[in-house]
Amino acid sequence: MRIRLLGIVVTAAILVGGFAFWRSPAAPGGGAVAISVGGAQHRGGQIVTSGRAGPRTFNRLLGQDQLSSVLSMLTMGRLLRVNFSTFEVEPWLAEKWDASPDALTYTFHLRPGLTWSDGVPFTADDVVFSLQAIFDPKTHSYLADVLTVGGKPITADAPDASTVVIHFPAASGPGLRLLDSLWVMPKHKLEAALKGGTFAQAWNTDTPPSELAAMGPFVIREYVPNQRIVLDRNPRYWRKAADSTQLPYLDRIVYEIIPDQDAELLRLQSGDIDLTQSELRPDDYVPAKRAEDQGRLKVQEVGVSPKADAFWFNLKPEAWKNDPRFAFVRRREFRQAISYAVDREKFAENVYLGAAVPIWGPITPGNPLWFWPDVPRYFHDVNKAKETLKGIGLEDRNGNGVAEDAQGHEARFTVVTQRGVGWYERGLAELRSQLAPVGIAIEPAGLENATLNQRLVKSDYEAMYQRFGTTDLDPASELDMWLSSGEGHFWHFGDTKPEAWEAQIDALMKENVATVDQARRKQTFNEVQRIFAENLPVLYFATPRMYYAYNVRVEGVKPSVLRPVALWNADMLSVRSGAP
Amino acid sequence: MPRRAAPYTTQHVVHFLFRRLAFALLLVIAVSSSALLLTRLAPGDLTTELGARARPEDVARARERFDLNRSPLSQLGGWAVRAARFDFGDSFLYDRPVGGLIRRAAGNTAVLAVAALAVATLLGIPLGIVTGSRRGALAAAIRGVSLVCLSIPPLLTSLLLVFVASRTGWLPAGGMTSVTAIDAGWSAWMLDVARHLPLPALALALPLAATFERLQSQAMTETIHQPFIVAALARGVTWRTLLIDHAWRASLRSMCAIYGLAIGALLSGSFVVEYVTAWPGLGRLMYEALRARDIYLVAGCAAMGGVFLAFGSVVADLLLFAADPRVREGQTT
Amino acid sequence: MKTAGRALLIAIVFVAVAAPWLAPNPPDRQFDTYLYAPPTSLHGTYFYPLRIVSRLERRFEEVRDRPVRVEWLRGHLVSSADDREPLLLLGADSYGRDIFARLLYGSRASLGLAALATLVTMILGAAVGGIAGYAGGAVDEILSRFADFVLVLPAIYVVLALRAVMPLVLPPGQVFVLLVGIFALVGWPVVARGVRGIIASEREREYVTAGRAAGAGPLRLLAVHLMPAARGYLLTQATLLLPAFILAEATLSYVGLGFPDSVPTWGTMLSNASNVALVGEAPWMLAPAAAIFLVVLAVNLVVQGSGRPPLVR
Repeated sequence: MRIRLLGIVVTAAILVGGFAFWRSPAAPGGGAVAISVGGAQHRGGQIVTSGRAGPRTFNRLLGQDQLSSVLSMLTMGRLLRVNFSTFEVEPWLAEKWDASPDALTYTFHLRPGLTWSDGVPFTADDVVFSLQAIFDPKTHSYLADVLTVGGKPITADAPDASTVVIHFPAASGPGLRLLDSLWVMPKHKLEAALKGGTFAQAWNTDTPPSELAAMGPFVIREYVPNQRIVLDRNPRYWRKAADSTQLPYLDRIVYEIIPDQDAELLRLQSGDIDLTQSELRPDDYVPAKRAEDQGRLKVQEVGVSPKADAFWFNLKPEAWKNDPRFAFVRRREFRQAISYAVDREKFAENVYLGAAVPIWGPITPGNPLWFWPDVPRYFHDVNKAKETLKGIGLEDRNGNGVAEDAQGHEARFTVVTQRGVGWYERGLAELRSQLAPVGIAIEPAGLENATLNQRLVKSDYEAMYQRFGTTDLDPASELDMWLSSGEGHFWHFGDTKPEAWEAQIDALMKENVATVDQARRKQTFNEVQRIFAENLPVLYFATPRMYYAYNVRVEGVKPSVLRPVALWNADMLSVRSGAP
Repeated sequence: MPRRAAPYTTQHVVHFLFRRLAFALLLVIAVSSSALLLTRLAPGDLTTELGARARPEDVARARERFDLNRSPLSQLGGWAVRAARFDFGDSFLYDRPVGGLIRRAAGNTAVLAVAALAVATLLGIPLGIVTGSRRGALAAAIRGVSLVCLSIPPLLTSLLLVFVASRTGWLPAGGMTSVTAIDAGWSAWMLDVARHLPLPALALALPLAATFERLQSQAMTETIHQPFIVAALARGVTWRTLLIDHAWRASLRSMCAIYGLAIGALLSGSFVVEYVTAWPGLGRLMYEALRARDIYLVAGCAAMGGVFLAFGSVVADLLLFAADPRVREGQTT
Repeated sequence: MKTAGRALLIAIVFVAVAAPWLAPNPPDRQFDTYLYAPPTSLHGTYFYPLRIVSRLERRFEEVRDRPVRVEWLRGHLVSSADDREPLLLLGADSYGRDIFARLLYGSRASLGLAALATLVTMILGAAVGGIAGYAGGAVDEILSRFADFVLVLPAIYVVLALRAVMPLVLPPGQVFVLLVGIFALVGWPVVARGVRGIIASEREREYVTAGRAAGAGPLRLLAVHLMPAARGYLLTQATLLLPAFILAEATLSYVGLGFPDSVPTWGTMLSNASNVALVGEAPWMLAPAAAIFLVVLAVNLVVQGSGRPPLVR
């Protein structure tokens, strides 16, 4: 008996001792503890960030996924960049530039003394080389489309080591902003690959990190597949803070790969992770706020999302074949009736828990440069909606709650969306209950992502509800969506016979892309928004407010509505001195 | 009835292993082929990963590179021929050969599976013996805990453990290694992995331990009522000897089959646990491959899963041999 | 213990059958102003309705000047006298639906599906496992390898492929039958393995030889004499499969093969509660786990209690 008791006590002791042993060491962030004077940011320390997946490649000219853009911001450089806080263009590797009178030629003067992380000097030849690589047919770089103006590529030459002359083949609306995507690759490392035709395989994830020369604030130190990427400070980074401190402040950034968003949130709350790549989901607001009340996190409202969830009917006649419902789906009055029927305030309340702003067009207030507040609005009016429907022959003749046309075809549709996304499912549920009083019956069907995408690409659906992301706020970057012949014209792929209003938008957008005068561009784009709102090929109801949470020990965070939310400003991030 | 029969001839065992190997190979081929064909059959393909507004030439190139324009059978044939040379194709998601990816992931999962199996066995089997052989508050309490473990979905178990780990700081809340091990040597790395292991291992082990406990308990209860137990008691055998040497041995037969299954299933990776705890294993790899329709990676993962299951089956049958000599493999009645 | 188990089981079945009467609200009614609302606190015969202070922060306050009466036995066992201010015994989910009502109604779909699927799986698995164990040799090998094959195959793809050829919106009846089929097809190898192990070792026993000598054919031997040896295992396996199927329905629902939103199930309710940090705030969202536990407990008590009391030391 006594032995048993002793056994229990010993076991308990081992367990307790074991737990104490397992207790994690001091949370990440060692580094010199300096006393900070005034508001100066402390130099040293590390932060831990996280993302859903690992990189597919380290070759900036090929990687199109979100992680690639994060890694680009951290390790690569550009002649100029778009500041994600002000959305203005600012000098980066080039300290100034001169424009020719016709705005087709820009002469960039590089900063003196720029060097790659491996010590080789950075010269204008690297820029010329990068453009060559982008437009090399064997590279298949997605940037080739971005840097093409009027069907011809942008070219560059290097009269001397510190001057780059960029030639635009035609007038470009976005102009210099396009160069924000011109990531400069090291000629001395990749020239051989380009000459040998193997550029597309160069710098893949098997490449030893020491080969990856960088111009950005950080250098890739280690990549453990499916686990993490470790980035160390680039000692040869060119930028200095206002008080002449050598940037970046941080010694190291650790990028953990965490596939599950719920687990990521838990680890953010507990301090395991300092910041994430995306904004909080509306349902995550409460736990984040709790953590803020406990002094662990800071929750900031960043603004309003520049992109909103879209609801649209398949407007491709071939997809409907002989379905009689298409006769009224194709009428703009049908879509206008829906816009009248929806109470957008209520939509914002129920779908986004009140943290949303009603909108009537694809451009939201989160895109301050292009948003037009005078977009025609359809204020909530159920009677008007019913009248509009009656005007095209749809009313509930048999009293079953669903409107039908004169031949008895009901306004009943299946709407597909992505399964498992809370606000999509809530949005559709809300739409269903709001459209029912008007006589339109919609049946939501959640599909798994790949299945949904296939239906979209094949135009095999009646109506869809989802959001497409954005990388840039300039509408010219989405030309393929606006143009009726574009590959991104998602409500009507392969539109070979545009209607009058569609042709109008085509003309306006083409002009928009080719005009240099920004005021005129705004005018033409406002007009596009007006035509869009009058014809409603796609309906928008509300756009969510964006909240971002990060650990209080991180300073210098300037969250943006564009992604990466915080790491676009990585070289100015620091940790509180003396913070554990 | 003698407890131990005549020892086996080596020829017998070799024969058995050889047959099993042949069947295992067949299984692996069948499973990976089916997985490949099913990937083609399922709606959507890996070009979804390029995004909804990908350029058509990028889509076309990807399709070409992964043989998606060939008929399913023709693609299968091509893959099989290359697989015989141990070339399992490339992964679209990772842009690397499938073989290396799977090797690494399988290794990580094996570590996790062994740990989970050990915990589940050490917890489940003894507790099952206890609940199967006696009544009382303790047995009822253990049973209750088992049932709770069976009622909670593995997703929640994993998330709850991550929650506890992150709140208390006792254990790392995910991943397989930490950054601090980056500059350290071998032993430090092993210690690091050992610190990260308990969380996912527990998440995997708890429902498994509950399953073991329930099955062992039932098997134990049945065996206890057999005449030879009563006889042994009458002979004066102590309770403990009775329990372990006599009753438990006899109760093993159904346990062995399940054990083998558990090995196989664990090694294929419980994707939920690996996903939530960010453990870089085979289950998570397969889940991501499935979701993205990354065809050659799916085929490779399925093949690996087949290998593990075959291994588990062999182990189970060997255990059955050792435990119950009355079973003769290959003899018909 | 067995009677306790039986009583619990009867209570559960009663709840499933009488759900519409027991539930104060319909399961798919969304109360717009009650998203994520906490459970109603009852003050005797009345309660206070809730008003939103902040939707995003999920803060509510009671409207003290407008108490609502609780009605008994008026159409439902208990309900609110005011149709717009619901009685939420377990709070509301992210759509504002009554969790308690969904719990009760969910028992129908979840239990019905899991029970039928378990039964079919048992029968199928026992049959295949029994044949494999009895026949031995090549038959055993082939059947066992086939079972392994089914186990390793990514069932999700089969489901996806199946889903693609079916219309987008399926009536609940069809979904039910499909799910039972899929569960049975995916679950039988587990049962078959265990049964095969038992039968294989049983068939060497003397009573089998005796039976054979007495002229019994293989089918009779298998069904009447050998199978009872596997009875205990089968019953235990049933208690393991039941909760597994209830939970697996959520996974299938995720790939699109699930009931429409109007039919609540415990599995999907739990997967919607996967935001664990939230669970600290709203533990009532884990109610379905408690319900599953009760069901498993009841079945387990009934099954376990079928043994004789253990030998006294």
